[in-house]
Amino acid sequence: MDAALIEARGLDKTFGSVPILRGVNLAVPASTAAMVVGRNGAGKSTLVRILAGLSEPTAGEALLFGLPSRTLAADVRRRLSIVTHQSFLYPNLTARENLEFYARLYGVADARSEISRWIERIGLAAAADARVRTFSRGMEQRLTLARALLTGPAVLLMDEPFAALDAEGVAMVASILREAIARGCAVVLTAHQPLAIDGLRFAGYEIARGRMLALTGDSGSEPERAQQAG
Amino acid sequence: MAGFVAVLRKDLRLEVRSGESTIALVALSLLILVVLVFALDPVGGVRDAGTAAGALWVALIFAGMIGSNRALLAERDNGCIRALILSPLDRGALYLAKLVAAFIFMAVAEGAAVVLMVLFFNLNFDARLLRLAPVIALGALGFSALSTLLAAISGRIRAGDLLLPLLAVPMFVPALIAGVKASGAALTGAHFGEIAQWLKILIAFDVIFLTTGYLLFEHVVGED
Repeated sequence: MDAALIEARGLDKTFGSVPILRGVNLAVPASTAAMVVGRNGAGKSTLVRILAGLSEPTAGEALLFGLPSRTLAADVRRRLSIVTHQSFLYPNLTARENLEFYARLYGVADARSEISRWIERIGLAAAADARVRTFSRGMEQRLTLARALLTGPAVLLMDEPFAALDAEGVAMVASILREAIARGCAVVLTAHQPLAIDGLRFAGYEIARGRMLALTGDSGSEPERAQQAG
Repeated sequence: MAGFVAVLRKDLRLEVRSGESTIALVALSLLILVVLVFALDPVGGVRDAGTAAGALWVALIFAGMIGSNRALLAERDNGCIRALILSPLDRGALYLAKLVAAFIFMAVAEGAAVVLMVLFFNLNFDARLLRLAPVIALGALGFSALSTLLAAISGRIRAGDLLLPLLAVPMFVPALIAGVKASGAALTGAHFGEIAQWLKILIAFDVIFLTTGYLLFEHVVGED
């Protein structure tokens, strides 16, 4: 089996005396995707934060590229992108300015044309020079995805990326994800329920009472459990 | 270096667009100077340079706390601080960018405060103000360095806004005393040697605050 780019080994997380994650294991090699489903408060967002190195597990280890995610060097962090409930966008900057800022931070080559390409891709060409604070939730989510993908990540962590998107937005994200996975990206995404997305296959997991359970088969090939996204 | 420039440029662009920090800083400086000029005005109407220097530094301290807080507060909107932590940007460079942004906001406010001080305290616009410039610059640099670090800590906890002045002011007291003394000496036209002895103390504290901030920022901003 290929080496995992994203890996959780026996992760425990406790807030006060409340256990959120208990012995969570996960391994996602390059060019594959894992979908973690669970109810509100199940611990999906906590798992994503721990995997990204934003939160420290109570026990266990989170690894990205085989390295502890809490102490990644700058050149390794360059290959990681994350989408969370927070957009990481500056409301008083325009869509283009936000992408320019992140392109500079990550040293994106040929940034100007890449930004234009992504703005077209996410369908925000008409709003490229509008401030983000004027955007709807769906527009902001599209821009968030462009912000995350613009840097060409090898590891992509997405916490409910389909939230607030309409059917067209879901199809667009699915297409972007397919491309990212095809070029070798390892993806972990979370959702409330298993999603079936055309052309995408996920290793399916469910978090319940802090424990991670593997769903039978791939979530993309499990029509009896799947629901169409959006 | 590119990351440092990107963050600083973004902060300045946001400030030019909204003017939130600068307007608040200048307004606060004005308010403090107005209150002090009336509170300290003795019956004879004598307003000396030493009193003016003290008033100026009170304005500097309070304006500095707002400036540093604002520079980091913008990053807490929409979780942008997390994006910066996860980015390839060196956290020391992030600290320096935030520090320079806070310093620029403070410098603008202090420029306005000096003009107001001269007007309110019946001082003259003369060469003595030029001697005040390095004192104010060193004070603003030291306070930006200290308060940027402390704002990163206080911004993460409940009621952190209250904690910032409680931590920052006592820690800055030695530099504050040196700054007030140096400013008083500069405004009274004292010999440069007299100013220099206080400037050395200010420089020493600037080095301490900058080094400490640069080394500790990574640890206080990264935890969750």
